[in-house]
Amino acid sequence: MYRLSKLRFGFPIGLFFWLLIDGTVSQVFSVQLFRTPSTMVSHLVVLWLVCGAIFEADSALSMPLARWAAVAGAVFDLYYTGIFGLYVFIFPLVIYMTRRLVSWIRPNFLSGLLVYFIDITVVEALGYLASRAMHLNDASGNAFLVNTLGPTLAFNLAMFVILYFPIRWVYNWLK
Amino acid sequence: MQKFSFNRRLVIIIVCLIVSFALMTVSVAIRNKKSTPPLVQQFGNDIVGLVDRVVAIPSNGLSGSVSSISELLNTYQENQQLKKQVSELAQTKVRDQTLAKENQQLKKEVSLNNSLTDYTAVTASVITRTPSSWQNQVVINKGASAGVQKNMPVMSGSGLIGRVAEVNKTNSKVELITDNNDSANRFAVSITTKSGKTVNGVLSGYKAATGQITMNNITTKAKISKGDKVVTSGLGGLTPKGLYVGKVAKTTGDDYGLSTKLYITPATDLSDLNIVTVAVTKS
Repeated sequence: MYRLSKLRFGFPIGLFFWLLIDGTVSQVFSVQLFRTPSTMVSHLVVLWLVCGAIFEADSALSMPLARWAAVAGAVFDLYYTGIFGLYVFIFPLVIYMTRRLVSWIRPNFLSGLLVYFIDITVVEALGYLASRAMHLNDASGNAFLVNTLGPTLAFNLAMFVILYFPIRWVYNWLK
Repeated sequence: MQKFSFNRRLVIIIVCLIVSFALMTVSVAIRNKKSTPPLVQQFGNDIVGLVDRVVAIPSNGLSGSVSSISELLNTYQENQQLKKQVSELAQTKVRDQTLAKENQQLKKEVSLNNSLTDYTAVTASVITRTPSSWQNQVVINKGASAGVQKNMPVMSGSGLIGRVAEVNKTNSKVELITDNNDSANRFAVSITTKSGKTVNGVLSGYKAATGQITMNNITTKAKISKGDKVVTSGLGGLTPKGLYVGKVAKTTGDDYGLSTKLYITPATDLSDLNIVTVAVTKS
């Protein structure tokens, strides 16, 4: 029962914690992450959301993930980028995609890694396309693939490997 | 039934796309035209900024102690080099003070109250950085209540790093000059060449591959050479005169061979920002 579990408060708190940690990680490790020309973008909040969708399928618990994803996206847009209307749609889309994918494959650590790979690719690609359309950058498709998508995937998959079991422990504790 | 649900999904996707683009267009337009974001956004950003400070303080403190340990390792060598510089600097500083005083008196004499070089510095620390590769922005902990206004230039270390893009009550967003959008790095600058001529121009972009600022469309005949210093010219907008931008690294002809294109090495490391200074001009 979602309504009676600790998840009801634990999930949003974790969501905002990881949202703010994204910015802090980018600031503290900015020399390593934003080394020109390649940039690694930390998406720990997506990791929290995707793990939420995976454990939801694992434990037959239904959580209002898409709603909270939209809220996190709105805060991301207003606080971090200042351009409203992008991540507020991308984050719920990630939840939708992850739910569809884990309904076809049995979710575990390895399949979760693959799902997360797809999610990060979608987040970055849509972010790139939107910012191209809004004239916020002038990077070519090649530059995007080599300088942003590649390093970002490497960083975030490493984070998935490191944080999957701790986050699973947190979800089990909250359940 | 299957066909109906497919159509419904398509409609939802298209509506979402349209709404998304409409919202983004509106917020970009507001960002470009208005001096402050809408009140709701300001209020929300202030609250998130407050919470973020709680999250950021321990981690920034931790990174500070780690970097101080690594700095300890080459302290001895650095100390020797710096001692030499300090004695020179004291002299320059005294002279600078005298000149500033004289300048003030002379200005009073000709009843000139504020000239282009006047500004007060507001020091702020960086709370967080936008986790995005398309928007190189940092959030600093000073806002409208400290006198910060939109479009004010921001410095760190010895050089210019960007301009204020959005002002909330207690925090503001700074767009770095590494950001390649249409308006981020258009600063009016001037270069004094070795022969004493002044060349004016506008910064035009950032080349991520080499980490250099570019400056296009210079039609002067004056010879600009490598190592010439680039400073802001104070023309147009809120930027005061004489903020150091960087040194000329390379001069080439532009793509059509009609004008000169410059590559400028920025004065500060733009990826490592902790404390920044906002140049507040009195208007």
